[in-house]
Amino acid sequence: MRERGRQRLRSSNSDSRLVEIPDEHSLAIHGRGVHLPQTAPTVVQPPLTGEKLYRFSTLELPDLPVAMTDTMFGSGNDQWICPNDRQLALRAKLQTGWSVHTYQTERQRKSQSLQKQELDIILSVIRRAEQLDQVEQHRIGRLVERLENMCRSAVGNGLSQCLLCGEVLGLLGAPSVLCQDCSKKVCTKCGVETVSSQRRLQWLCKICSERREVWKRSGAWFYKALPKHVRPMKERAIESRMSTEERSDPKIARSLPVNFTYKWAQSKVVSSESEDSDSEVSVCSGEPKAFTSDFQPRRGSESSGGSSLAPVQPSISLSLAVLSESHSSLASEHSSLPPAPEDEDTDHSRLSHTPPALSRTGSLRSSAASQQSDGPAAAAAGDQPPGDEDLDRAFAGGATAPPASKRDEEPDVEGYDSDDSTTLGTLDFSLLYDQENNALHCTINKAKLPIPRYRKGLKPMDHNGLSDPYVKLHLLPGASKANKLRTKTLRNTLNPVWSETLTYYGITDEDMVRKTLRISVCDEDKFRHNEFIGETRIPLKKLKPNQTKNFYNCLEKQLPIDKTDDKSLEERGRIMISLKYSSQKSALVVGIVRCAHLAAMDANGFSDPYVKTYLKPDENKKSKHKTAVKKKTLNPEFNEEFFYDIKYADLTKKTLEVTVWDYDIGKSNDFIGGVSLGINANGERLKHWFDCLKNKDKKIERWHTLTNELPGSGMND
Amino acid sequence: MAKADQRFGQRDGSDQNFDYMFKLLIIGNSSVGKTSFLFRYADDTFNNSFVSTVGIDFKVKTVYRNDKRVKLQIWDTAGQERYRTITTAYYRGAMGFILMYDITNEESFNAVQDWATQIKTYSWDNAQVILAGNKCDMDDERVVPPEKGRHLAEQLGFEYYETSAKENINVRQVFERLVDIICVKMSERVDTDPAIVTGGAKNTRLTDKPPQLPQNCC
Repeated sequence: MRERGRQRLRSSNSDSRLVEIPDEHSLAIHGRGVHLPQTAPTVVQPPLTGEKLYRFSTLELPDLPVAMTDTMFGSGNDQWICPNDRQLALRAKLQTGWSVHTYQTERQRKSQSLQKQELDIILSVIRRAEQLDQVEQHRIGRLVERLENMCRSAVGNGLSQCLLCGEVLGLLGAPSVLCQDCSKKVCTKCGVETVSSQRRLQWLCKICSERREVWKRSGAWFYKALPKHVRPMKERAIESRMSTEERSDPKIARSLPVNFTYKWAQSKVVSSESEDSDSEVSVCSGEPKAFTSDFQPRRGSESSGGSSLAPVQPSISLSLAVLSESHSSLASEHSSLPPAPEDEDTDHSRLSHTPPALSRTGSLRSSAASQQSDGPAAAAAGDQPPGDEDLDRAFAGGATAPPASKRDEEPDVEGYDSDDSTTLGTLDFSLLYDQENNALHCTINKAKLPIPRYRKGLKPMDHNGLSDPYVKLHLLPGASKANKLRTKTLRNTLNPVWSETLTYYGITDEDMVRKTLRISVCDEDKFRHNEFIGETRIPLKKLKPNQTKNFYNCLEKQLPIDKTDDKSLEERGRIMISLKYSSQKSALVVGIVRCAHLAAMDANGFSDPYVKTYLKPDENKKSKHKTAVKKKTLNPEFNEEFFYDIKYADLTKKTLEVTVWDYDIGKSNDFIGGVSLGINANGERLKHWFDCLKNKDKKIERWHTLTNELPGSGMND
Repeated sequence: MAKADQRFGQRDGSDQNFDYMFKLLIIGNSSVGKTSFLFRYADDTFNNSFVSTVGIDFKVKTVYRNDKRVKLQIWDTAGQERYRTITTAYYRGAMGFILMYDITNEESFNAVQDWATQIKTYSWDNAQVILAGNKCDMDDERVVPPEKGRHLAEQLGFEYYETSAKENINVRQVFERLVDIICVKMSERVDTDPAIVTGGAKNTRLTDKPPQLPQNCC
């Protein structure tokens, strides 16, 4: 298409003077005094490159100059030739007479020159459009990036394995489908069923499905190629280049964040520091010592002050330079043109961002401890070790920061404003499954986050535009406290660098097949609920034992599966209950036989379970019975029976509630799961109850799945 | 805070919460009511006085179509010949056109053919067009009967509406119909002819993907 456009241009405008259109500056200059063709017929329009043109052309299509050329500047250059070659050629092609056009051309000549005011108006429109376009380019860039990330994280071969998740397909493996577009095999979970235009059902792999979506969303379907776009990657590339340069600098290297597994010490800091309920990292009550000792010396050397700031600061200032360079064209336009609407924007971003996000690199325990008291700016100034070359660099960066910070944040504004479908930020982390020690090490490196106001369409009113992010880990399915780990909270940053390693212990090979690690990034908020920013999920089967795998994932919205996962029936465990109505004793005999696969509530990976039973409604509050506590087991055997004296006729009005608890010394006991049997229950629970009623004096044993909902109120006593 | 509020008011323009972005263009002779038509649609306002549009202008509006949010960038063009160079530059990116004439102005109707030619010349080949005979509230002064308009639209292969920006007749309908047509074209393009997607991707960086993922040949 573009080719054709150019050819047309060449053939019709053999005299090349026609093709140019001034960029904004020259247009403005010429517009001022020089009435374009008539009063100064000798003025030759400055030939400018097409490249300049794109910069302000709103539609970003390379053939634009074709359209903008001939009438205004072309036919104007010689007043006495009515239609130019191109117009004639066009008319010949389209078989329309040209008399009308001659008339128009004449009229047009009379009123052709544009007044300065007119130009100003047009330019302001063009600029407004350009702004919109830049945002759009970033949006498309994010779409493209997301798609590429998807492609990159595909692990299978598409023949014997699912192209995306690598699951083995075939007779013994998962069922597979063939992607219509790429003709590769994927498992049904990685496939998307769509309806083709012929109303036939067809499968696409998620990548191809996403690709189609990108083509729709970006407008590529119409232009037959992806429109111009700006990928968020570029900014990152610049940054990472910067940081690798610094890494090679030995002076700074010593203060670089060290990604070692000092998780135990860490968790303690976190839990003592944070008021957030998420921070009950009960894991750290386990066997911490071995790790702390390993970590201790390093900690000592690093805690000599916030020198960890040094590597961050220069990279900001350097990338600022690069970024502001890329913005310079915009800046110069600002200076040469009257105040434009977007000034508001920039003002705004200047207001809304506190001094450049001096995110602590987060490698230091000591800094975590002092973190609460000082704001980011204070920390930056206060922590600097004096008389250091790094320091100079850091300060140099700091000095240029205020004007530049605006520039720095700007791309982010556009780059990470949230289109629902696109990124909510990105997270850089790595996972290592240590098979021998049954440990899963999760190293959370850093994240790039969207500006909060774009997250939920929040007004930027009272927000400083930054976040206080932390990362939570969950192993799914399963929702016990022992399952939850979190990093510390970093203050006032959209580019948090945690460099923390959190470790799950007692991870078995079976877990590695069955479980999924959910990593969610949240914004800690003292006044409101902590806000969820985004999450990513990694099926652990993607990991190879003893091999670190790095991830750079886009965050996604909370996946709805989450809830069902958390409530996941199997995961609370199961219980075997026996029921018998003894007509002889006129009593219901409830037997708690055993439990299996209970959720682990304690840090040691086990629970200390016991079972309570109630028969409700419970007028006299006498129906409570408890079993003994079985220590450190997930498959306890109780074999206890409880008697409820009750008339047979009354039994239909009652509900038996059975709950399983984890006994904890000194704190309130944890609820593991429960089940209700009765006339209002359903499924297996109803059936069991019914069978009991129907078969007096017959003991009926059944397994029931525990759910994590308390069957009724008042269970917590 | 004033700034924040202002910004909030303009949310339409900077709002990123949408699925598709369509660029539409309104063309037609001077004073047929293009600007009024756009103002009626975007702001629901109408002003009887005539102010000639300088060159080009655009407004942004987000609409829902089924469950998708479509952001419309609607370009309003000057009908005057002297701005033609500027306005035709914007034909290229437009996915849909509203070609407008004035039912009380014969000349504007006679020019429709020319405008259609302009579209064919400057736009992408599959741009969608709706012909709109505006000012249908002024039936007393009508010189172009509806049949004539309909007939011409058929000839040109466009859909046809009579509209009134003043009385708000068929304004929303025209835009919604245009969005519909474009959406249909879009799914046709992408879903029935996936080769364009996979094939087109060859020319883009989208192919930076694992080599084991082959393209459909196309």
